Amino acid sequence: MTTPCSSAIAPTTQKTALLVPSGGEVDELLTNVLASEGWSIQRVVDNQHILALARAKPFDLIVTGRETRVAEDVELLRKIRAARPHVRLIILTDKFTPGDVISAMREGAFSYFSAPFEASELAEMVRAAMAEPCWDDGIEVISGTPEWVSLTARCDLATADRLVQFLHGVRDPSIPEAEKDHVIFAFKEILINAMEHGGHFDPSQHVEISFIRARRAIACRVKDPGKGFSLEELRHAAAGSSPNDLFSHARVRDARGMRPGGFGILLAKKLVDELIYNEKGNEVVLVKYLDPPESPII
Amino acid sequence: MGLQISTRESGDVTILDLRGRSTIDGGESELLSNQLQKLVASGVRKLLLNLADLTQVDSSGVSIIVRTYVSLKRQGGDLGLLRPSGRVLEVLTVVHLIDAIPSFQDEAEALASFRPRGYSATS
Repeated sequence: MTTPCSSAIAPTTQKTALLVPSGGEVDELLTNVLASEGWSIQRVVDNQHILALARAKPFDLIVTGRETRVAEDVELLRKIRAARPHVRLIILTDKFTPGDVISAMREGAFSYFSAPFEASELAEMVRAAMAEPCWDDGIEVISGTPEWVSLTARCDLATADRLVQFLHGVRDPSIPEAEKDHVIFAFKEILINAMEHGGHFDPSQHVEISFIRARRAIACRVKDPGKGFSLEELRHAAAGSSPNDLFSHARVRDARGMRPGGFGILLAKKLVDELIYNEKGNEVVLVKYLDPPESPII
Repeated sequence: MGLQISTRESGDVTILDLRGRSTIDGGESELLSNQLQKLVASGVRKLLLNLADLTQVDSSGVSIIVRTYVSLKRQGGDLGLLRPSGRVLEVLTVVHLIDAIPSFQDEAEALASFRPRGYSATS
């Protein structure tokens, strides 16, 4: 546990970034995003130089180069955090193993991008790192094996976004990318519902999460700190709309003065194979099967 | 990139060209919501959302499109979608929005759909 977050980026001083060049589009993008906000950028050749400079003075953001292995980046982060516990470090890598995401989360990386990744997504994450005043302890890994990861996530959108990016960084050749995208999309919808309706986006509240990788399925469990709900009572959600009237929930929301919404559960239901709520309605499991269902017994 | 919105008009139809993403993360959907609410409040009744350069949409973006559609229909207006593709088309299809809200691949065809039946440009 770190000390209370006191490293909010001061609005009046020039912000500083320390980078190891990755080459090509990534360097151009980082330079453009950071320079457009008036940041001072310092480039070094490797992690040893990052460590020496980061120990000597604080940087508001550090981005590793793609050429180093994640294990080296995580070790670098561990050493920097010993001196500067609130450092924002984004790992970029072309060299990774399936367990690297867990290590990066556990050590407190701000974010993690494994190749191939969208440059625009990296730009958004850099902007988030620039804007997020207090990010520490947003994600805490409770336990982690390649098959089962349990963690908690603070109830705020920035933490949800960081967690989702870590999931995008998981590269498991046995999971088709399209299937993975569907699970992540569905998980994000459920996570944000949990943070909003169960945790009221209160940063002092946390959502409990588990990811389980079975031989023929992926499962995600999300438990929110709220009182729960009944799906049958959800007239203001699309999942509770009449099949013949897609917009009935929208009219209910309009009449109740609620903000636009109500499609999260429906989308999640359509993108995974099973969405199972507990009796109270504050805990849900998403299941995606990786093999086609077996033929029925005749 | 976030979300960039540019507005243009063709006759009495207001066209919004959306570029980027409409998700809850960075407030993009809120931006879209505010823009649409302003337009409807100012009297706009025929809206065409050009989704050709929209790369992502989540439930927040879908909900805003639905609320605007319902609101316009209640006030005698209409809303159409132009050239949804990729992930956006996939999401709109999954929630059956693509069947419920008129969707077009051609802008001229989309604009024609807003005209009253029987209308002819030469009449």
